[in-house]
Amino acid sequence: MLTPYEVTLDNNATVLTVRGSLDINTAPALAEEIDKIIEAKPDKITVDLSTLELIDSSGVAALVKLYKGIRSTGGNIGFSGAKDQPLAIFKLLRMDRVFDL
Amino acid sequence: MHEKVPERIWLTIPGALRYRAVAVRVVAEAARLVSGSARHDEHDLDEHDVRDPFDTAVVSAFMEIFNNVAIHAYHRDEAGRIEITITTRERELIIELADTGTPFDPRKVPELPNATELDIAALPEGGMGLHIAKSMLDDVSYQPGPPNKWRLAKRLPPTTQIARS
Repeated sequence: MLTPYEVTLDNNATVLTVRGSLDINTAPALAEEIDKIIEAKPDKITVDLSTLELIDSSGVAALVKLYKGIRSTGGNIGFSGAKDQPLAIFKLLRMDRVFDL
Repeated sequence: MHEKVPERIWLTIPGALRYRAVAVRVVAEAARLVSGSARHDEHDLDEHDVRDPFDTAVVSAFMEIFNNVAIHAYHRDEAGRIEITITTRERELIIELADTGTPFDPRKVPELPNATELDIAALPEGGMGLHIAKSMLDDVSYQPGPPNKWRLAKRLPPTTQIARS
């Protein structure tokens, strides 16, 4: 089974790739990683959602936490690649505009 | 054309979060029976493959209600069970969940704020589950028990063509 997330560096920008299902079972592990990312205060982070297949409200909460944490330290955060069920959830919650999806 | 005879699927499953994926698989396949959507890759069963709007609505709502039962009715305790009955009709899917945990009071769920009208700090980090379920489905009802009963219903829009083999 693939790791549900991966953090890499691309031209000094942090890239967080989230895969598979981000839900109440997988979000707690990602939330720990998010704490580490926020602590590192990156200037820029991209969240790649192109391989995310399913998300629930716990997964959305984890991404909101990341968004808030990065913005509160003056960093830039961008989301890309959301499609299918995850995009439908972001649109329903009107977060597609906040996340600029 | 004759109305399709309703068919039922019964699933009894521990009311614990680690079993949720099993129930989600069953619900996703039942949704496909109604929507007529095909798997993107029928050989890749690891892929969740929830793309069709009908399947998306059903699976999204079901995940939230399962979470609700496991967390609020059974308090993350693995002792309880959830009896799930899925009824597939020609253009409608009905999912009923029955649990014997603590009754839930939907009136205590706060309204979800509109993210576009808020500053960043006010973006919600919780309380979205029931809102998602209600918005995605045609009917969501709850009857406190015991047993507590959820009933979720989703109908295909009248214009939707069903690509059923």
